[in-house]
Amino acid sequence: MARPKEDLAVVGKNWARLDGTDKVSGRSIFADDVRLPGMLFGKVVRSPHPHARILNIDTSKAEALPGVKAVVTPEDAKGIYIGINQPLLPTGNVNHVGHEVVGIAATSERIAAKAAGLVEIEYELLPDLTDLRDAIKPDAVQLHEKAKGNIGWEVAQDFGDPDAAFAACDVIHEDEFITNATHNCYAEYHVCVSDFSKAGKLVVYTPTQSAILFQKTIAAAFKMDESDVRMLTLNTGGGFTGRTSARPHHFISALLSRKAGRPVRLRAAGDEEFIMCRAGGEVVYKLKSGATKDGVLKVLEVDLLFDTGAYIESQMIVTTLTSKYLGALYPIEASRYRGRLIHTNHMPYYFHHGGGLAQFQFALGQHMDELAHKLGMDSVQFSLLNGVEEGYTTPDGTTTYHSCGLKECIEKTADLAGWKDKYGKLPKYKGIGLGIGAMASGAKGLFKHDTSAAMIQVNTDGKASLFIGLPDMGQSSHTTMAIIAAEVLGISPEDIRVVSGDTDTDPFDVGAFTQRGTFNTGNATKNAALDARDQLSGRAASLLECEEADLVWRHHQVYSKQNPDNKIAFRKVVDETLNSMEGRFVMGRGYYNSPLKKGSMAFSFGAQIAEVTVDPGTGVVTVDKMTASHDVGRAINPRVVEGQIDGQIFSGMSQVLYEETIMEDGQVMNPSRLDYKMPRAYEMPEVDHIIVESIDPNGPFGAKEVGEGPIVCTMQAIANAVANAIGARVHEMPLAPWRVLRVANNAEQLAEQDAASKRKAVAGE
Amino acid sequence: MAKQIITLTVNGDEHEIAVAPYQTLLEVLRDDLALTGTKRGCTAGSCGVCTVNGEKGEAVLSCCALAVEWDGRSLTTVEGVQEGNDLHPVQQKFLEYGAVQCGFCTPGLIMSAKALLDVNTSPSEKDINEAMAGAICRCTGHIKVKIAIREAAKVLREREGGVADGQA
Repeated sequence: MARPKEDLAVVGKNWARLDGTDKVSGRSIFADDVRLPGMLFGKVVRSPHPHARILNIDTSKAEALPGVKAVVTPEDAKGIYIGINQPLLPTGNVNHVGHEVVGIAATSERIAAKAAGLVEIEYELLPDLTDLRDAIKPDAVQLHEKAKGNIGWEVAQDFGDPDAAFAACDVIHEDEFITNATHNCYAEYHVCVSDFSKAGKLVVYTPTQSAILFQKTIAAAFKMDESDVRMLTLNTGGGFTGRTSARPHHFISALLSRKAGRPVRLRAAGDEEFIMCRAGGEVVYKLKSGATKDGVLKVLEVDLLFDTGAYIESQMIVTTLTSKYLGALYPIEASRYRGRLIHTNHMPYYFHHGGGLAQFQFALGQHMDELAHKLGMDSVQFSLLNGVEEGYTTPDGTTTYHSCGLKECIEKTADLAGWKDKYGKLPKYKGIGLGIGAMASGAKGLFKHDTSAAMIQVNTDGKASLFIGLPDMGQSSHTTMAIIAAEVLGISPEDIRVVSGDTDTDPFDVGAFTQRGTFNTGNATKNAALDARDQLSGRAASLLECEEADLVWRHHQVYSKQNPDNKIAFRKVVDETLNSMEGRFVMGRGYYNSPLKKGSMAFSFGAQIAEVTVDPGTGVVTVDKMTASHDVGRAINPRVVEGQIDGQIFSGMSQVLYEETIMEDGQVMNPSRLDYKMPRAYEMPEVDHIIVESIDPNGPFGAKEVGEGPIVCTMQAIANAVANAIGARVHEMPLAPWRVLRVANNAEQLAEQDAASKRKAVAGE
Repeated sequence: MAKQIITLTVNGDEHEIAVAPYQTLLEVLRDDLALTGTKRGCTAGSCGVCTVNGEKGEAVLSCCALAVEWDGRSLTTVEGVQEGNDLHPVQQKFLEYGAVQCGFCTPGLIMSAKALLDVNTSPSEKDINEAMAGAICRCTGHIKVKIAIREAAKVLREREGGVADGQA
């Protein structure tokens, strides 16, 4: 449903990011650029074994090395836990290759590395589990006492009556998909500078998506008040769902700093990046769906097995969230979900870009493509028939779609990509595929609230400082907030200095994940700017001799809508508000928390069509073109929205075709940027964007999110296009050339056998 | 190992620095000269964030270059690209066309792009892809980066004067 668009002066225009000049000039400071007086350099001694008992640790030689200032062993870390069940340094067994055992701080990185080589650890090897299929066998080694059958966490949830729904279906489809282990591959390697030199106070410089979550967990680990842990985020060199929680290196650098009484920097050295930071583990997706013969999807059953690695961190969230998404795209009658986190002797896994949901959509989108074929439809027809619409409420009752542009996205993408002219009419080895998605703006449930706060101070020169706690890891959210504040105050985003990245001064913000920034922090910022404007309204109305309600704030001026020719400068209003008997200094405050008990206030929607060519000789997939249409509510900064779409198409394409942390006996076999494949400029296709604006009634100026909406569409679109090109489906991600080739060759053989048997039948044999 | 005194000119400034034989150019730039605009990434020549420009403007991976080999030579880092108070067209177009997101790989991308445009202001798609092949950018998907490079090339062609615009 089209809503009337507000007349806006700032929102909806292309704005260059406010910190861009610093970023293109090398002036932006990242954590690895921090130099503190007396700073030491850390190194971690890691387990070379997937599973072993520590018999003895001898650090005497390392401690005797000149320049070594602190050594921490499991004894020093007793009582410090990460996540649910991970002791910071293990006192008994090491449970994965790369498991942190000893930390060293020295006057140089080279001395620290040398000292690490002098640490002697005796191990007794234990039988290990490096495949989740082995871990669930009844006779498997038990890795944790409390995790019976190596099941660390289980979610099971039914909506409606799935058995009855299946019984009433005419067509049922079942299949199974696999996504393999991955690494986030941020441009900025993992790094943390911890400064515990002032007793009882800890200062931490590190990239993060949520300073508040880091502060909370680090303070709890060291039994401190949260306010005594000061997080300095500076710039974050990419997040991709992987920087939402503190990792061992954050705690180890703090532990070393406390012991040495000096700041300590701990960072990944080359290969180490691939074992100290972890993305998604292997996931097995078993899917079953049922539809009536007229093509209406009725029921969905999903059973997921996640390799969670040695410990459980935030993967519980993926397991739970996925169950919520079963009814997000299709209004089904019933569903059955089971998700299990399985312990193995792999490093503990977290998330990759797309937060598990994009990877799930790789499976679900292909499953639906197959179901559509069984029903005699193509996936565009199927999605248009079955997709959600405005007013829909999800089966768990938590979320109602107050805006929904899904079908508009599908239609526009199909039109622009020329679906009707291409689908089923392309030459062999060329394919076209659709991917559709829904993504929440914010997700209440992690805490009791989903709060973002903002403050804005307005200066007498008409400029303003906006204080927010939302990290900007590249998505341009700080500029987005400045645009929102500028629209309210009638000034330019360039008049606003965004102050952020220091928990001593930042207003509270849960952080930059679950695509909550634009919606939640955007609403908080809008509320703060409205509060500031209210504080100026009295003076403005008296200067203009009009009603406060008639004031218009635009282009650095204020006027009454009854008399637009009589304008006064915005700065004059601010100046006269302060330099008066009242002496009011304008500071606006605002916060936003979803009024829902749980769930999300808004969902964004999207559709992407991929066109690919498969090389029959090598199995290499080339993406020729992507057409992407996304309902983002409103594009606050359209070029940034396009950039988000581009980046997620890149990341989705990268994951579906290239990315894999190849594991063998618990070891990472490709721990480098060269061997862990990602596309580069050469491989990137042309991308056509269509921005659909459904103007959500609850979003700031109607905006929802574009943080992960695009990536949930990309993997399935490309995989569907590959299946279309080779006439068979590759059920495992990434669709590496060897996997594609094997399936394509097999399909060829099967086709030949089919043809041969038909010839025989014709010949009457 | 004994250190050696080298003379290194960075962004026009001459420095005398004592370096160990194993120290890389990247380490000297970041740790000795505090020029932290050049980023430290994989330190193995595969991500491109440490790219600087050598004497002839060529792209150099500073993580793979030994500082001692640079004795008596000069180079440009991202801090030296700006033209007085103004951004260089490559920087300006990166900013304008949204080719910057997290900004960590940006210095390397800019130095790779500048190395190309210094010798070729009418680059083909292939030229751009080749020049940027050593760079990983996780955020932008390289799409707006390529647009920015083409736009910067236009400005540079106009500067050269007389060259017809709009072909690249």
